[in-house]
Amino acid sequence: MAPHSPPSLKVMLVDDQPARAALLEQALRDHQFTVIARLSTAAGLAEQVAKLQPDIIIIDIESPDRDTLENMAILHRDNPRPVVMFAEEGDASTIERAVRAGVSAYVVDGLNPARVKPIVDVAIARFREFQALRQELQETRTQLADRKQIDRAKGLLMKHRDMDEQQAYQAMRKMAMDRGQRLGEVANNIIAVLELLGG
Amino acid sequence: MALEHSSLEKKSLRLGYIPLTDCLPLVVAQERGFFAEQGLEVELCCEPSWANIRDKLIIGQLDGAQALAPMLLAASLGIGGLKKPMLTAFSLGLNGNAITVSNRLFAALHAKAAGSTALDAAQALAAVIRERRAQQLEPLVLATVFPFSNHNYLLRHWLAAGGIDPARDLKLVALPPQQMVDNLRLEHIDGFCVGEPWNSCAVAMGQGRCLVTGYEVWQNAPEKVLGVTEQWAEENPQTHAALLRALDDAARWADEHVADALQLLDRGHYVPVPVEWLAQPLTGQLRVGLDQSVRDPAQFHVFHRYQANFPWRSQARWFLQQMKRWRQLPLDTETDALAARVYRSDLYRQILADRGSLPMLDDKPEGLHATPWQAPGTRGAVTLGPDLFVDGTGFETETVIEND
Repeated sequence: MAPHSPPSLKVMLVDDQPARAALLEQALRDHQFTVIARLSTAAGLAEQVAKLQPDIIIIDIESPDRDTLENMAILHRDNPRPVVMFAEEGDASTIERAVRAGVSAYVVDGLNPARVKPIVDVAIARFREFQALRQELQETRTQLADRKQIDRAKGLLMKHRDMDEQQAYQAMRKMAMDRGQRLGEVANNIIAVLELLGG
Repeated sequence: MALEHSSLEKKSLRLGYIPLTDCLPLVVAQERGFFAEQGLEVELCCEPSWANIRDKLIIGQLDGAQALAPMLLAASLGIGGLKKPMLTAFSLGLNGNAITVSNRLFAALHAKAAGSTALDAAQALAAVIRERRAQQLEPLVLATVFPFSNHNYLLRHWLAAGGIDPARDLKLVALPPQQMVDNLRLEHIDGFCVGEPWNSCAVAMGQGRCLVTGYEVWQNAPEKVLGVTEQWAEENPQTHAALLRALDDAARWADEHVADALQLLDRGHYVPVPVEWLAQPLTGQLRVGLDQSVRDPAQFHVFHRYQANFPWRSQARWFLQQMKRWRQLPLDTETDALAARVYRSDLYRQILADRGSLPMLDDKPEGLHATPWQAPGTRGAVTLGPDLFVDGTGFETETVIEND
């Protein structure tokens, strides 16, 4: 630790997912970093950067506005602190982890990579956490939807094929195993076919 | 067939593209089964930015992609972002860009112009800029798509031809192609240089006038390329070759069936605009220039003829020269070796050797020909397109002598 630690870097977040941005902002604050702005759209991004002079901009990698930031590096006239993509020489793994997590970071030219990396690391961790949460939510939704379809397919089999509930369920499970499909997918197929025949 | 395909190092590929008309060869190869014929299973991945395409290629999330040629050179040099050697052995086509301005700026240019050529338009813009400066108005804002792009260099070349200094006389910004029309409507920008269909969109929506085609700035200028990392190409030579053969088939088909090809773009929802707009420049409906005249469709898209897919090394050197000219690259950077490392005309010739006559030389002069001309080919002369620049300049005109 240097006797006088340099002033905290000013971070700008650009993310169209408010929940994720809030999560990340809180995490950065917890780590004593200064978040100066949280933008949900990149409209007027160049003006915001010129006005607020962030040291580092964390942006969703899927944002189309990344190309606007890339261009700032050559606009020295408008932006006395040109922005470059964070690309620490000799540390390809940070970049790879960042891209995979969906994070990209732009920093002012000449900033010490060692000061930037902890911020990028926090962003990567939060983006991943958010990804995991979303995936979990998606899986729960799929399970719920599957359960509904399985019940419907069971009902249709019982009605059209004169099976009892147990037989209908066994038949579906066998089909799922034979075809290597989820039970929900099998249910969807059965519903489609039996509705076609029945309707 | 099966035997041949068994030599592929990798069969399942992810290829990135940006929603632009010139992603067409990739879409045709997918939808018409040219990838499948080569034993490739391809997933086409729509990407939101050029930066994304570069980064995903670099970390291997994409195997290959529609790419900006100057972006491959910049990434190989490590300027503006991550550094990794990249290459192309296949160009996806010629032309396709245009400069569109707001209705208001168009009216001002029209009032100042001495004639209706692209050069007249640039000189009229210089006059408008002088007038605005005298009135102490804010500088005009023009947009391109990426700092290391054909669009950026074509726009700057045209501005300079009119006596305009892009760094001093106006403000250049970058915006994603699909946001150009909206920014024009909101008056955040006064014009842009972008690939189709976004010029046609601006015109169809009444938000601007198409002023100059890229063709008028540099006839048959090289456009997008198939980009891969050098490492990927070395690890997957057979797959790379299969990719090139499929794209060669697709580009030939696209050139011969443009209308059908545009339907494929529309049907697969690759480009989010109505097919009538995609077709505008190719059906003589898009009006261009100070005289708002109809242009030959070839001014917009050439996918195969004129050896459109050949990666001319001399054109890589032109891009590198532009990087120096516009201060993106130190003037003393040694770039000839880089041009040869990124632009693999040798691979093109080797992989597509059985596909007819191919250019024998890696370089060609620019700025000499107003009509189609003949150059030496591997199996007899090949026909190349006109190549004049708007300001009558040339590039490397001493390096190649025409045969007969």
